[in-house]
This record gives sequence, structure tokens and C-alpha cells, in this order.
Amino acid sequence: MLTDSLTRPAVAASRLPTALKIAAIGAIVVGLFFLPRYVESTYALHMMILIFINVIMGSSWNILGGYTGQFSIGHAAYFGVGAYSVMMLMQYRQIAPWWGIWVGVLAAVVVAVVIGSICFRLRGPYFVLASIAVAEIFRVTVLNVKGVTNGAEGILVTEIPPLTIGGTVITDWFSKVPFYYAGLVFAILIIFVTWLVRESKLGYYFQAIREDQDAAHSLGINLTFYKNVSLSISAAFTALAGSLYAVYVGFIDPGTVLGIDVSIEIIMIGIIGGMGTISGPVVGALVLVPLSEALRSNMITDALMKAGVVGEESKVGVFLKEHLSQAHMLIYGILVVIVILFMPQGVLGFLKKLTTRKARS
Amino acid sequence: MAILEIRHVSKFFGGLAANSDVSFEVPEGTVMGLIGPNGAGKTTLFNCITGFYPPSRGEIVFDGRRMNGLKPDKVCKLGMVRTWQKVRPLTNLSVLDNVMVGALRRTNSVRRAREIAFEQLRVVRLENKPSLLAGALPIGERKRLEVARVLATGPKLLLLDEVMGGLNPAESEEIIQLILDIRGRGITQMVIEHDMKAIMRLSDRIVVLNSGEKLAEGSPEEIVNNPEVIAAYLGVEE
Amino acid sequence: MPLHPLCERAMSVFLQSMISGILIGGVYALIGIGLTIIFGVMRVINFAHGELLMLGMYGTYYLFTLFHVDPFVSIIIIIPLMFVFGALLQKGFINRVLAAPEHNQILLTIGLGLVMSNAIMLAFTSDYKILSTTYSSSSVKFLGLSVSTPLVISFAITAAITIALYWFLLKTDTGQAIRATAQDREAARLMGINVKRMSIIAFGLGAALAGAAGSLISPTYYIFPQVGGGFTLKAFVITVLGGMGSIVGATLGGVLIGVAESVGGVYLGAGWKEVIVFILFLLVLLFKPSGLLGKSNV
Repeated sequence: MLTDSLTRPAVAASRLPTALKIAAIGAIVVGLFFLPRYVESTYALHMMILIFINVIMGSSWNILGGYTGQFSIGHAAYFGVGAYSVMMLMQYRQIAPWWGIWVGVLAAVVVAVVIGSICFRLRGPYFVLASIAVAEIFRVTVLNVKGVTNGAEGILVTEIPPLTIGGTVITDWFSKVPFYYAGLVFAILIIFVTWLVRESKLGYYFQAIREDQDAAHSLGINLTFYKNVSLSISAAFTALAGSLYAVYVGFIDPGTVLGIDVSIEIIMIGIIGGMGTISGPVVGALVLVPLSEALRSNMITDALMKAGVVGEESKVGVFLKEHLSQAHMLIYGILVVIVILFMPQGVLGFLKKLTTRKARS
Repeated sequence: MAILEIRHVSKFFGGLAANSDVSFEVPEGTVMGLIGPNGAGKTTLFNCITGFYPPSRGEIVFDGRRMNGLKPDKVCKLGMVRTWQKVRPLTNLSVLDNVMVGALRRTNSVRRAREIAFEQLRVVRLENKPSLLAGALPIGERKRLEVARVLATGPKLLLLDEVMGGLNPAESEEIIQLILDIRGRGITQMVIEHDMKAIMRLSDRIVVLNSGEKLAEGSPEEIVNNPEVIAAYLGVEE
Repeated sequence: MPLHPLCERAMSVFLQSMISGILIGGVYALIGIGLTIIFGVMRVINFAHGELLMLGMYGTYYLFTLFHVDPFVSIIIIIPLMFVFGALLQKGFINRVLAAPEHNQILLTIGLGLVMSNAIMLAFTSDYKILSTTYSSSSVKFLGLSVSTPLVISFAITAAITIALYWFLLKTDTGQAIRATAQDREAARLMGINVKRMSIIAFGLGAALAGAAGSLISPTYYIFPQVGGGFTLKAFVITVLGGMGSIVGATLGGVLIGVAESVGGVYLGAGWKEVIVFILFLLVLLFKPSGLLGKSNV
């Protein structure tokens, strides 16, 4: 039967009743808002902030890559524009980050439209290559104009001005909690925007472009215009993620915010979780952040030793302890290979496949 | 009144003349058949007409307006759409969503587009499976889906490129009825087809292309009795 | 007629950078040819190409430091080893995504590249390694200019390899089968060519050429696990410049990029020379995406 040859259920509509879905999402959001009250571990907050930033990065890329089918491996350009805008404004003009990030967003959109107008006439792998080249041009330029950007030394900002509204100090940014809420709000925002886009004319047009550009063109869709709209939204939120990251971490340099590693990490979130869906990037972030943190902090090695799989003094054990923390890119690479070969629809798609198989049998 | 005028259109690819000095008119509200052996330049002409590439020479005038150099999306907005020889469903979108993409050309409201889409699905008799992924449809239904999709854009002129290709007689009959139905709604059609019997039934007029040139033009009876046409098709028929 | 000394100096600087550019361009050509063969036969964009070069570099380095094999001699070992490695990669991994959507192919090769570079990093640390031979910094006199000896030798070897490759593709049955597959996969299959086998050979060839290029530049470049990335990008620029799938194009493209980089580096400073290559890349993608030589066949 034809439907069996496809990797996803033939019926596109979701199986859960919408009211239930909304209630569940509402409960989760409320829970997340109250979380810092009950969870005091700074490490847990740190993880959540990273997850939020990843959700923003992944979801914004997803609008261009997952929904519109334009596979950019150069999104570091927008991440970096956001990061550098907010940091440079804080450092050189003492402009508070809550104004600076919008400059970053605006700059990213302008950059996006310029890049898009040039690159969108390219298709498939040529577009991918162009996106990489553009991001590299940005990185090398930022690296070289030392007078403006401080070049390889990067920008370090440790003092964020306190946020006051009408005389009362809301936060002085010393704890992680304000960053948590900033991240949460922006993550909810991008998810909401993704949903809005999907349900609107834009969503239909974006997906038509993804499925078949020539057919879309012949149906009255101005390809370059809509691709640019998609890219603008995508770039704006990627820049937001970059700004948030920069202000939270306090230090940026061309390698950490404009390098191709950043672009690859951005696409991984969508790939691992599932492209072209709203929850895909969320799943991706939930998988990747704990994984890389676990690797960095030797949690996995400790767990393996505790479980007795690996002896503490054994050669393997020592090797793992010394090196696994540096192995996170290696694990990423292996993960990508496994996902592409065995779960091309991402974790989400894979789980969906499992549940429909079960339902059918 | 001619809704489409093809005036001395030629299209060269390097040294090859895919279309050579082709001229004819399509009267409004009719079905114009476009036939010819393989490689005669029929699809090339469609591509020129709908803006996928500009003609090397000549003019294309639609509804009194010169179309040379207009991009496909502009062409669609002016009222001319085409289907594809190798059908192009938007595979991962549902049947309904496919047609809605077409309908959104006419309206910015998703709700209104959904209504229009359902109407067109009823016309092609696919309204019973709106949520099915387009990729899951068999070829006959994919072709009907494509027709629904282009109808949803609200065209004045519909270009159908071998819409019966690869269909069994029952499926072909459905398409024929569809084309007659569309004609009844006042939409002009130009139909590329190899199925001679179908073309004879459907067309008000027929243009014959051979090796890029217009070989003959006339009513179905004139064409079927034209010795040059018969010669061009010898061995290629049925 | 003697020129003004400043003029002569400027001339010789220019000529020097041109010649260095041509010499290194030869090696670039090898990288580009490898990538273009892979693309030509399989329509796969191999984002791990630079990592294959990196493996060649490390292989050469350890053959030198452990067994005192001269880098230019170790090519004899590296080429067949990398060929087998490439063939295995194709059979085990690449083959599975030949029918998948393009971005899956891209991602798979990216993933493989990540695994290769990071595995090497884990095994050998990310320390920069230097392979210095007795002649690493010596130079020869050519037309009154001094040219780096290793560059000259590598150019000569590159020329030999390229000639051998052309002979293989033009004169042998397998070579012609590969060209046929690159030209029209379906037609080749119908003619009885085993396209699966051709894909394996093509990837093996691409890997072998990349590895050879790695060997050739190991006396003159820093060796570190991430060195591949820059070369992958450069390889793309070369193949797009010359026309994806065109070996002649890749050959010329390699030399052109070598010259552009060399001349640009001299006049604009080392920091900016990468940007020149990328800008050139974008210009070609925008104005002549089929490459300077247009769409050619292998």
C-alpha cells in the first residue's frame, strides 16, 4: 500500500485533541514561570538558560530551513551580528542591553535581506555553500577590523546596568534568574511566532517553496520575496539568541559567535529534533544541551564507572575521564551520522513513526 | 476574442531551435489542443508562455497584455496557470493544503482559502480525503489534485501539459469530463495531449507542432484529415 | 633595458607571488579534482573533503616522524590507503543517502567530517604539528626569483598525478565508465555499467587525491585536526569556479585560486586573503554558477 512506503502517517492531522494540547502547553508554561521559585540550583538554572537559547536558535533556523527548505549553514552570521551589536553598544556607548538587542535584531534583518537578495537565486547545495561563505566573510572581517570589534581579543562586559522601571530596581543581573526569564520569554515568543507563521498564508507559501520551488512559482508565489521574509524572521530571532548569549556569558570573540561550529550547532538542533515542526527544535534542544553538558562535566564517565561498565583505574576509564569532555563535537558528529542514517525525520519523526506503527498493529 | 496570442515565437537553446516562428491565437472560452510528436516543442512553448524562460523571439500577448519576460508568479497573478507533464504534488502537504496554496493567490485569508480549496476539491472529486498527504495519492488522483490546485488560483487560462499521461482509460475519462466541466465555467484551456481520441473530443481547435514549427491549425476534423499531420505522426500514433 | 629599481622590485614581488600561487594552485587543483569527480559521479557534495586531506597530512606526518619516510615518497602509500578508506566510506555511509534529499547528504558528510577531525583530535591532540624536512625552507632560483623547493617538488608530483589521472579517465575502460556515469547515470546503467561500483571508485579516487594533496602540502603547512575545514571550502570554490563535474575546470580553478590567494595575500595582507577567495566564490555563484568553463562533462 502506498501509505506504507512513506515514513510518516498518511493523515497529516494530529491525533491529540486540541483542547488537551493547549491545556498541557499552558501547564508547562506556567510551571516554567514558577520554576525559579522552587529550584535554587544555579547549575539547573544555567542548563535551562542554555536550553532556552538553543530553543530560540533552533526554532529560528527552523523557519528558514525546516519550513521554507532553505538550508543555511551560515546562521552564525546573524547570531554574531546580534552578539556583537549588543556588546559593542554596551562597551563603547554604554547602551543598556535591553535596547541594544533590538539594534542587533534590526541589523540582522538588514543583513539578511541583503544576503538573501544575493543568495536566494541559488538552489540546493549552491545556496548552502553561499551561506557558509557569507558567514565566513563576516567572521574574517570582524576578526580583522580590530579597531571596531577588538578582533581576536573579543569583547568582555561584566557590568550590566541594573534594570529599573520608575525608580524601582527590578534586577541587577547578578543572579541567573533574570536571564532565565529573559530566555523563557523569548523562547515562548519564537515558538508562538512559529505557530503564527505556520497557520498563516506565510506558512503555506513557505512550505510550498520547500516542497517544489517551480510549482510554487507557477502558483503565483514570488520566491525571492517570500524567502527573504522567512530569512528576516529567522535572522531576527537568531540575533536575539546571540544577544542573549552574549550578555549572559559576558564575553564574545569571532570564533565563539561567528564560527562555522556555531552554524553547525544551530542546524543540529533542528535536525536532531525534527525539522519543519514546532516542537522539533524544542526536542532537539532538550536532547543536545544536557548531552553536551553531561559530556563537558564528566557526568557520563562517572555514570559509566558507577554502573561498573568501566573500571575506574582501567585504561579505558582513565582515557574517558581525560578526554570525553573534549569529545562533545565528536559525539555530535556521530549523532548526526546516526540520525541521518536511521532517523532522518529527527527524534520527533522517529517517535511518531513508532507510535503509528503501534497504532496500526 | 483571443485571450492568448502567440506571435512569431521562437526559442533557441544554443544552436537548437526548440520553437520556430510559431503563431496562433486561442479564442476565449475554448479548448485549444496542442499536439505533435515527441520533441515538437510543446512543453517548451508552455514554458515560454508561463514565464519560465522568455522567448528568444516573438511576442506573447495575454488578455491584451505583452507577457514577454514576466516571471511565472506574475503570469499566475494575471490569470494564466499551468500543470506539469511530470506531476508535481507538494508531497509533504495534505491534499487540502495543496489546493489552499493555490487558493491563497486569490485571498490573504486562510479561512477563505480553505473554503475555495474545498470547492475545487469537490470539482475534481477529491473532497473525501482532504487530510491525506499528497505523496500518498496514486497518479490519477495526483493529476486531479494538480488541476484543483491551479483552479483554486482563479485562472482565466489553464495550460494542461499531458494531464492524461500515465492514466488508465477510466482515469482519463474522469479528466476529460473535468476539462469539459471547466470549459463550462468559461475558463479557457490549452491542452497538450498524446491521446488522440481525447483531443478530438475535447478541442474546439487544434494546433499541430512538429520539430519546433507550427505544422497545421484548424478544427479537429481538418487536422485529422490533414496529410502532413498524418505523415508527421506515422508510426507514432497510439 | 633596465627598469627603475622600484619598478623592478615591484615586478619581482608580483612575479614571485604569481609563481608561488601557480605552484600551490597545482595542489589545490588536486583537491578540487577529487571533489568534482565525487560530485560528477554521485551528485554528492562532500563536506568532509578537507578532512580527507587532513588524514593524508597526519598519515604523512607519522610516516615521517616514526619511519623517516620522506613526505613526497609517502604519497605512494597514502594514495592507495586513502583510496580504500574512501571506498569504504562510500560503501558504508554515502551510499545509503544517494536517494535521500540533498540536505541529508550534506549533513551526513558534515557529520563524517566532524567524526574524522575530532577523532584525530582525541587521538593526537590539537597541537599544531610541523613536518620539517632538510629542504623545507630551501629554495631554488628560477628566472632570477627564489621559489620554495617543496612547492616545486609538489607541483611536479601534482602534474604527474594529474597526467596519470587524465590518462586513466580517457584511455582505460574503468575511466571511461566513470565518465559515462558522471555524464548520465541512468544511461550508463542501461549500458550495463555497474554504477554502484563506479560510485565506490569515484569516492575512493576523490579521497586518494585529497589525501595526496595532504601529503604534498604537509612540509609547508601547519598540521592540526581542524585544518580540513578551510580546505573543504576552498575545494568548493575551485570546483564551482571550474564548473561542478569538470576536471579540466577544477585544474584551472585550482591554479586560479592559488594565484588569487597568493597575490591577494601579498597586497592585502594575510588576514584578508581568505575573504578574497570567498568574495570570488560569491561572484562566481551569482554571475556564472555553471563555472567559468560552463557546464562540462568529466
